[in-house]
Amino acid sequence: MSEETRQVISEAQAGVMEELPGPPQATSSPRYSREAVLIITLVILVVLSVVTAFVARFYHNKIRSLADQWFAEGEAAFQAGDAKQALVDYRNALVYAPDNGDFQFHLAQALAAVGQGEQAQSYLLTLLAESPGSGQINLALARIAAHSGSKSDAINYYHRAIYGVWEKNPLGTRWQVRRELCEYLLSQGALTQAEPELIALGDQVPPTDITRLKITAGLFLRSTLSNRALNEYQLVLNDEPGDDEALGGAGTAAFHSGRFAEAIYYFEKLSPQKRADPEFASMLETAHQVRDADPYEGGITSREKATRAMNALRQAQSRVRECAQPQNSSSQSGSQNANSGSGANLEDLNATSEKMQSELHESDLMRDPGRIDAVMSLVFQMEDAAEHACGMPSAGPDRALLLIAGVHGGGNR
Amino acid sequence: MTADSHSVGAEIPRDLDEALSLPQKLRALRSSLTRAIFTASEDRLFLLLAILIGILAGLSVVCFRVAIEWTKLVLLGASVSPHAPRVFLAPALAGIAVAVLAIRAFPRARGSGVNQTKAAVYVRDGYIPFSTVIGKFITCALAIGSGQSLGPEDPSLQMGAGIASALGRSLRLSRKKVRLIAPVGAAAGLAAAFNAPISAVLFVIEEVIGTWSAGVLGAIVLAAVSSVVTMRYFLGPDSLFRVPPIRVSHPSEFIGYVVLGIAGGFAALAFLKWIAYFRPKMMNLPRWSRYLQPAAAGLIIGLIGIRLPQVMGAGYFVIDQALHGQFTWRLLLVLAVIKIVATGLSFLSGTPGGMFAPTLFIGAMLGGAVGGIEHHFFPQRNATLGTFALIGMGTFFAGFLRAPITSVFMVIELSGNYSAALPVMVASLIAYVISRRYQKVPLFDLLTRQDGLILPSIEELREQVAIVIEDAMEPEGALVVHPEDSAASVIARIGEQKNIPLLLRVRAGEWRLLDQENLNRLATDAGKPHIAAEANSKGPLPMLFRDESIAEALRWIGDWPVLPVVSRADLGQLEGTLSLSDVLKAMQKAAVV
Repeated sequence: MSEETRQVISEAQAGVMEELPGPPQATSSPRYSREAVLIITLVILVVLSVVTAFVARFYHNKIRSLADQWFAEGEAAFQAGDAKQALVDYRNALVYAPDNGDFQFHLAQALAAVGQGEQAQSYLLTLLAESPGSGQINLALARIAAHSGSKSDAINYYHRAIYGVWEKNPLGTRWQVRRELCEYLLSQGALTQAEPELIALGDQVPPTDITRLKITAGLFLRSTLSNRALNEYQLVLNDEPGDDEALGGAGTAAFHSGRFAEAIYYFEKLSPQKRADPEFASMLETAHQVRDADPYEGGITSREKATRAMNALRQAQSRVRECAQPQNSSSQSGSQNANSGSGANLEDLNATSEKMQSELHESDLMRDPGRIDAVMSLVFQMEDAAEHACGMPSAGPDRALLLIAGVHGGGNR
Repeated sequence: MTADSHSVGAEIPRDLDEALSLPQKLRALRSSLTRAIFTASEDRLFLLLAILIGILAGLSVVCFRVAIEWTKLVLLGASVSPHAPRVFLAPALAGIAVAVLAIRAFPRARGSGVNQTKAAVYVRDGYIPFSTVIGKFITCALAIGSGQSLGPEDPSLQMGAGIASALGRSLRLSRKKVRLIAPVGAAAGLAAAFNAPISAVLFVIEEVIGTWSAGVLGAIVLAAVSSVVTMRYFLGPDSLFRVPPIRVSHPSEFIGYVVLGIAGGFAALAFLKWIAYFRPKMMNLPRWSRYLQPAAAGLIIGLIGIRLPQVMGAGYFVIDQALHGQFTWRLLLVLAVIKIVATGLSFLSGTPGGMFAPTLFIGAMLGGAVGGIEHHFFPQRNATLGTFALIGMGTFFAGFLRAPITSVFMVIELSGNYSAALPVMVASLIAYVISRRYQKVPLFDLLTRQDGLILPSIEELREQVAIVIEDAMEPEGALVVHPEDSAASVIARIGEQKNIPLLLRVRAGEWRLLDQENLNRLATDAGKPHIAAEANSKGPLPMLFRDESIAEALRWIGDWPVLPVVSRADLGQLEGTLSLSDVLKAMQKAAVV
């Protein structure tokens, strides 16, 4: 025994030996036989089992009720918009039911709501490890990823959510998730990625579901798929011909598709209040201008075509001159130096147009309708150059000519 | 009649069976069953008792855990962030009650319970009064439930041992069996409290029995399993905390575990030194102060708990959160340090309660913190905070309680994943070595020594140099004689070595000791030539092998002047001889070393 140990023992003995239990009690004088002791022990065991069962049941009930109580309080707080309080309540609920995935999911949602996205993600990833196919968890993760700007993760989780397991109304929920994905992609300007999703979304809508048809059509309208939007709105109008929302949407979709006659048709069927909407009114006016200015419109005479072409040339000349004038006057300023090339281009185009105007008359165009194309091609070039140099006109005949160019001649549009 | 003949079916012969009525048959059956149980050999009864003790310990632990939770709900409320006045007052007021109970009513309930159980096994023949079980139950439920930074495992261990001891004494088991039955109960109590039978068995062997004893291992395993089954039946199969899936994907991750091992080793050392230094001082304070020490500790813990309620109580829920990466590394580090302070205060104040759960808590926080720091500086590393927290638990456990085998198996058992084995082995070994290097005596041995007792320690046993026969044997200590050798030739070979033992190899595996005087007489017989086998001999001699322990040799050496040490591959090949004087020389040499 080392000196150190001896020292420890002697110190300890001085202070604490009185605490040590006394010598063992005699075990050789039992009051009961071994048989009796075993029987008594078995009886005690049975009684203790019953007591323990009662205690354990009481305990489980209490724990369950506490968990439910905290969860209910958390739900109430969350519904009331108090995510911080909900967070505390959900945490308390989880103390009593740590494995409850529903509680964990709600806690994660509360965490996300108070801006603790990382912690929320951590909870959700734990849950996801247990249920990798859960649509709900993947959707929550997608939202967190979308919120934190992680686009690829968001898309990935949205897809997993779409193809994940949904206990209640799986088809409807998947459609809603895809709609959310489409909205997210459109908000991110990811049109290329959005369009296949939109097509899939539209394909899953039955033609009688007016609400969803309108939603899908609205999303198509936000993308470049205006024709699909028009189709959807037309389906709505088949059932509800006077639906202002559908009429407005159909008009807008037709307008963006270059189907101006249809646009006029739908806009003119709008109720007076809706037609007064500045956006619709502007599109209707432009559509009228397009219809009145378009030399390619079917059912008009050769004279009318020639007149429209020559009017278009004059309008384009006027636009080019207007656009070129301020550029020439400020050509000395550094800010406009970059546009000096386009200014020269405008002048060239103007010169070409003047030459064409001096050489051509309406009668020439009536005799040779093929020359209308040459005139309109120059018109489109001039409007295009003017737009490039001076910006897109919001309304008026030049806007109408640009739209006609988009439909008939502006390959770059 | 042997015990085997007491089988139930054998008691009612066929012809008698036919003659008996049903009630008579039932009586006969009951009688035979009773005899089979009560007249069973003590060994068989011991195994039966192990199951009984396991069930009783399991039931007790269920009630104990419910009592702790119930006390917590009553004193601290149902929220994880209780109101400040409650946090401040509950541990202090409960501390006064605990002190009064522990001093006046249940003086043996003080302390953790592990070293007290070990002392009972080695000093008092396994005697633990049943009042200790009751006292431990009440005082620990009150202390832990009120927020003292202690755990329920060690008290459960002592309660299990107490139940076993009481049952063993009541059944008039032999003194030896009563001594053995206490660890059986201890394993049952710990297994039920921690819901981990393998760890419990190993911990009891490492910390309570202090030696590997095959005689009691079967009963310990039976008791541990039956207690866990009982506990799970009533409280469900879930662990005290959920362990997330862990993965070790790249060997470079081991750098982090090495750092964790170093951090865990020094943290464990600091905690050990603190307890080792202050415990004697606290024990030397005036006796009246013992009424106030738990309350004072409770007051400080309550103050801490207002800001950091996580450190109060056993902290399983907090461990669960750490394992799931729900704390920042800074908070984890703060929690580890504060928990060391809080647990030290609770333990040093003499409040009854265990160190097992706080050790795991500190380890989990420290591990998580190391993982968090690693992740902060090396974000490309894959290991999660939860993995580090899990490995940290085993690491701190190995460093602080100095039970490295338990620590490794505990982590594997908790995680159910062998991937954890290598990291925890590396980190635990480092922590253990650091702790061992700077603190010679392990915690529980230190506590018993401070209480004036020297008990066997498995750590000392591990480090003992075993003396084997090879260390003591004499390679040229005898002359091998073959049966066909002539007596004269043998005498000629003896030459000058007059007292050399003559070992007659009758055949492979049978050796005898030849009488040299008789051989001399035969050799000098001029009448006819004699062979050596004709001389008087003693034997057959017990044979030894060079790798056997000296203790094994002493069992066989008896009155033989020398024993053959033979090859295990060829029992006819002599590798040396061993005599009592050889053994003594080797032991003296080992003692000097």
